[in-house]
Amino acid sequence: MACYYDEHNCKPLAYGEQPDELLHLARLLLDTGVGIELQIEFERLFPGERGKPPASKAAISKLKTVKSFSEGEKCPICLKEYEEGEVVKQLPCCHKFHFSCVLPWLGKTNTCPVCRHELDTDDQDYEEYKRQKLQLGNYSQVDNTPDFHREDLGLNSGHCHSRKWSFSGLP
Amino acid sequence: MANIAVQRIKREFKEVVRSEEVAKCAIKVELVNDNYTELKGEISGPPDTPYEGGNFVLEIKVPETYPFNPPKVKFMTKIWHPNISSVTGAICLDILKDQWAAAMTLRTVLLSLQALLSAAEPDDPQDAVVARQFKENPDIFWLTAKHWSHAYAGAPKSYPEFDAKIKRLVDIGVDEHRARVALSSYNWDLEKATESIFS
Repeated sequence: MACYYDEHNCKPLAYGEQPDELLHLARLLLDTGVGIELQIEFERLFPGERGKPPASKAAISKLKTVKSFSEGEKCPICLKEYEEGEVVKQLPCCHKFHFSCVLPWLGKTNTCPVCRHELDTDDQDYEEYKRQKLQLGNYSQVDNTPDFHREDLGLNSGHCHSRKWSFSGLP
Repeated sequence: MANIAVQRIKREFKEVVRSEEVAKCAIKVELVNDNYTELKGEISGPPDTPYEGGNFVLEIKVPETYPFNPPKVKFMTKIWHPNISSVTGAICLDILKDQWAAAMTLRTVLLSLQALLSAAEPDDPQDAVVARQFKENPDIFWLTAKHWSHAYAGAPKSYPEFDAKIKRLVDIGVDEHRARVALSSYNWDLEKATESIFS
């Protein structure tokens, strides 16, 4: 059974501490999905006003360093062919880039330049928004999580190689 | 301009020139100046659309921060489409705004614009008048878009009745383009269009 406090995303009050009623109200509203609806409405009214936040420093430092091995393979950002055995950075979705090319992009937005796979951010509001969007999606959709998301969740072994796209939701 | 932007455009340029879409005359890119900051794009109107047979010219400006920011693209050829301004040629397309990704290229942008001509998004309009017509009078929208494609993009001739109405206004001293805009905006109601011009 989930702990009450975990489930409600809060901590028990310390001795003598008073509850913050406004905070509770705000949480209640967010939990009922009002937050996500406002966000979606905001995005509809002001498209492009709020881009995705930068990737977190931790997510960037966790990127795998791999050697490029297939001939003619290019960095999707500068479009230059990798030199043989050149060391490049690999995102969790298996897309590879020169570190110097992908770094400025991830400093601007947390998505893979090729497939939009999202890295973690340092933006707490955005992370909450993502969590709620996922929750909302879970009610209305079947599981069509691409394999690389499953890898994040520890569902696959996590080898990239030259595997082509495969979606677990498809027959 | 930053080195990475110039280097990328040079590589992309080769990619587009060699692509099979260019061979099929579906898309085209040309340099406008020597420093690769401005280009001229061209897309052909997709089949089974009112733009078929037309050739649409685009202005492409490459920012210094390319490819980390999208190129600035607008239609130079006048076009009747819910997501493109019939006045300025400005385009409402997410990948040219917040949905841009650094791995996109001139080729994918031009192909996306061609796809936009095939599949308009009237609920996210750039031109409200066109979008309303698209939803409320789809048949008139189709004929109007086809008429504009003929008038400005060299597509085959369409509906002679529209030409006759424009001629009526031109004969009383109205500029041809102005007459076309007024008639298109009022679903080719000659009386209402005339009223809008002279009020």
